[in-house]
Amino acid sequence: MKLETIFVKEHSFILHPSGAIFWKNEQMLLIADVHLGKASHFRKHGSPVPMASVAENFNQLNAVVSYFNPTTLCFLGDLFHSHLNNEWFFFEQWIQTVMCKVILVSGNHDIIPVLKYESIGVNVIDFLSKKGIHLTHQPEKKEGFFTISGHIHPGVRLVGAGKQQITIPCFFKQANQLVLPAFGTFTGNFIIEPQLGEQIYGIADDEVIKLQVG
Amino acid sequence: MNRTQLQKIATDWFEQQHWKPFAFQKQTWNAFLQGKNGLLNAPTGSGKTYALWIPIVLNYLKTNPNYATKPQKGVKAIWITPLRALSLEIKQSAERFIEGIGVPLKVGVRSGDTSQKERAAQKRFMPDLLITTPESLQLLLASKDYDNTFKNLQAIVVDEWHELLGTKRGVQMELALSRCKNITNNLRIWGISATIGNLEQAREVLLGVASESYKNSVLIKAKLNKKITVKSIIPEKMETFPWRGHLGLHLLEAVIPIIKNSKTTLLFTNTRAQCEIWFQKILEKHPEFAGEIAMHHGSINKETRLWVEQAIHNESLKAVVCTSSLDLGVDFAPVETIVQIGGPKGVARFMQRAGRSGHSPGKESIIYFLPTHAIELVESAALQKAVKQQIIEDRIPYLNSFDVLVQYLTTLAVSNGFFPEDILPEVRSTFCFQAITDAQYQWILNFITLGSQSLQAYDEYKRVEIEADGKFRVNSRAVAMRHRLQIGTIVSDAVLTVKFLSGGFLGSIEEWFISKLKPGDVFTFAGRNLELFRIKNMQVLVKLSKQKTSKVPSWMGGRMTLSSEMSEMLRDELYLTHASAGKKSPEMKALTHIFKRQEKESIVPKPDQFLIETFKTRDGYHAIFYPFEGRFVHEAIASLLAYRISLLVPITFSIAFNDYGFELLSDQEFDMQQVLDNDLFTTDYLKSDLQKSLNASEMARRKFRDIAVISGLVFTGYPNKMVKNKHLQSSSQLFFNVFSEHEPENLLYQQSFIETFEHQLQEGRIILALERIHKQTIVWKKM
Repeated sequence: MKLETIFVKEHSFILHPSGAIFWKNEQMLLIADVHLGKASHFRKHGSPVPMASVAENFNQLNAVVSYFNPTTLCFLGDLFHSHLNNEWFFFEQWIQTVMCKVILVSGNHDIIPVLKYESIGVNVIDFLSKKGIHLTHQPEKKEGFFTISGHIHPGVRLVGAGKQQITIPCFFKQANQLVLPAFGTFTGNFIIEPQLGEQIYGIADDEVIKLQVG
Repeated sequence: MNRTQLQKIATDWFEQQHWKPFAFQKQTWNAFLQGKNGLLNAPTGSGKTYALWIPIVLNYLKTNPNYATKPQKGVKAIWITPLRALSLEIKQSAERFIEGIGVPLKVGVRSGDTSQKERAAQKRFMPDLLITTPESLQLLLASKDYDNTFKNLQAIVVDEWHELLGTKRGVQMELALSRCKNITNNLRIWGISATIGNLEQAREVLLGVASESYKNSVLIKAKLNKKITVKSIIPEKMETFPWRGHLGLHLLEAVIPIIKNSKTTLLFTNTRAQCEIWFQKILEKHPEFAGEIAMHHGSINKETRLWVEQAIHNESLKAVVCTSSLDLGVDFAPVETIVQIGGPKGVARFMQRAGRSGHSPGKESIIYFLPTHAIELVESAALQKAVKQQIIEDRIPYLNSFDVLVQYLTTLAVSNGFFPEDILPEVRSTFCFQAITDAQYQWILNFITLGSQSLQAYDEYKRVEIEADGKFRVNSRAVAMRHRLQIGTIVSDAVLTVKFLSGGFLGSIEEWFISKLKPGDVFTFAGRNLELFRIKNMQVLVKLSKQKTSKVPSWMGGRMTLSSEMSEMLRDELYLTHASAGKKSPEMKALTHIFKRQEKESIVPKPDQFLIETFKTRDGYHAIFYPFEGRFVHEAIASLLAYRISLLVPITFSIAFNDYGFELLSDQEFDMQQVLDNDLFTTDYLKSDLQKSLNASEMARRKFRDIAVISGLVFTGYPNKMVKNKHLQSSSQLFFNVFSEHEPENLLYQQSFIETFEHQLQEGRIILALERIHKQTIVWKKM
């Protein structure tokens, strides 16, 4: 496995190939766009996404949480895809196995009542601003802060000589913000076209690779 | 009334019209009245409609002698047409006879264009004779008590069966027929087909393998001996004639006298974009044609198309630039001449188009072939021979289309519900599912009820439910509604409607094209230059633009491949380059200069040679192979070869292909000698190598796109509604990925590979191609 570290102000962040990042100084793990319940939502409407993809989400969550062993786990929105369904029970069971504090920065897909989250000890907030870092779901500018968000599911198309191309998920860093790729297994990518001065960290299997822009 | 008396009604009516029935018409009447099923092989415009409408009506008279006083209620016959545009003409023919002999029967049309109100009225009181499409028939099967609706059904006629045969719409028809046979008494099933290579098989597919209906059936051929004359347009100056890939516009002036000398001319183009461009250019160079020429393609709105068709009838048009949208149906007597622009890719299609001219029986059909580049001149020479020798392609029917079966079983569950053990024998009686195993059937049943192969904890999957008595049924209204919206097997890209700001509907355009345009950009559509104003609610709002230059939209549509018959004719023609002048066609003689040039740089392959050319450009290292086997086979051999080379050295290729050859392009140099030394064209391990190469390429993914939509994995949204069910949006790609990772044994996922093998590669065509290459000497030219 290959990770990358980026430095913002006095903070350092470790980029993990699952799409999560670890805020070292705060011992906080950040994860965006898991879209739990998406597979079940489809199934409920007659579209049989394999149930195995549900388990895969939790396997990956377990792997990254045990890797960093954070004191806080912060979901950057779209933790659940839609209305309450049975995947909630899996989540409930899973959350009991997590030792750290869990926060959800609410996203546009998060329509499950806050009370439900609070009943299992998950703190739901609209944003979190701390030590010059602004955590939100949708990318936004905040004066004097560096924003970390999700929402757009960034992916990048790599083009090589001989007209070769491949699309991979990526971390997308601009001057004042960083966008995380979607963590969930049953999610797609939105292809971004980076400008000079912006940074792209692509995910290729279990490696995070800094890419040349331009 | 006995058969002779009945037939007299028909012959008397024919006499009143001053017509004389053809032998095939009488044969068909006879066979039908004897209670037989069958396939009628007759071209458009030959009187095939009366061959079957008449005995249907006569049979009604026979079985209901008191028809005048006590008419029998309910639908008596269903006429299936693949193109709803043809319904009107079929209806007029039927009514002409019914009114002529004074029988009170009502003819109705039911298709996607039928209004909600009319449909509801039909539901209460079905027309006696119903003209409809395969999709609308499925929708009838999806409505409650369909068995009651069809109770008195005496006949189903499937028109243009050859058009449906090689498609999933054909499978849909097979399944519908298997059901209808079992809910009616004495149903007669008839197909009408143009000439194809596998007519006998076409009959078997229609009627069911080894079924009673098949045993009690006939094949009737209308031997009309239509004379087809092919003339190719040979450019006067070959020096400036492009080698490849053009629209054919440099020969525009050669077409003008043809148009002027003929009453009405149809100009067939291969794509809608080419159609738009030709139409514009003719008017630009010859404004005198304004008002006398028109354009016709599938994305132009219905009213305009109908107007064009009517104008052809009325002889008020000199020429129509069109696409395959005018391949079928509608009798265009005034059409005297056909011009085919660019290679038609198949003999059957070419002959069908030729048949659009000289439509009245006995008249000669004249077709001009206009090559758009040099190799198409070779194609032209090959075509003429194929027409002369009557070499016509097969239409290959699908096997085991599980996606269509999933859709069909859900349809039955939506309406009356079904017992699986009742339906299995019917399904198995169809050609498509003749070899379905009990395990596969069970897999499909599990798929629609459990969404997987075993009951899983906490699962909320909901589509078809099994009731206490074992009946499979859809109880959720939402599931039923989504399913009805999604019935059909034609999968197209998302389309937006094009409208004038001031109102007025122009047609439809694919989303991917319009998404590349900004407001203010100008594009050509329906023969006009339009400025994009904005996109709102799935509508593209435009206004007329005076700007000359513009973008021309392209439609993804079906890519046509050279048929194997055409490929072979083409190769044989090409080999004649080396023959003596006396054996060469005028086309080949005209190409002498180009072949000389090719010989200077490389070679023109002989029958025992296989040519590979390699060179380097800024893009990378190119290798071009020339099997002349058509694009489908080329795509497969290209990915096979790329895969096999990658086993020798780690390397990535980009693949490009057309009907004549394919290209492998890489950023790294690779040694062609290794390809030759390692015998990479071998047929050993072909199947497993192909399978692996398919994984790496896009072919199976593309097939899966249609499968995902047809089987209802992907919901394509409510018609004309911008607000889709947002949380249910997904792409077939996402499904393909999760299946390949978590459920590779999924039958629908596997189907995408099998279809690629069997349908795209046309069963063993690739093996034959490789065996041929194997026997040839490989000539490798470094350029």
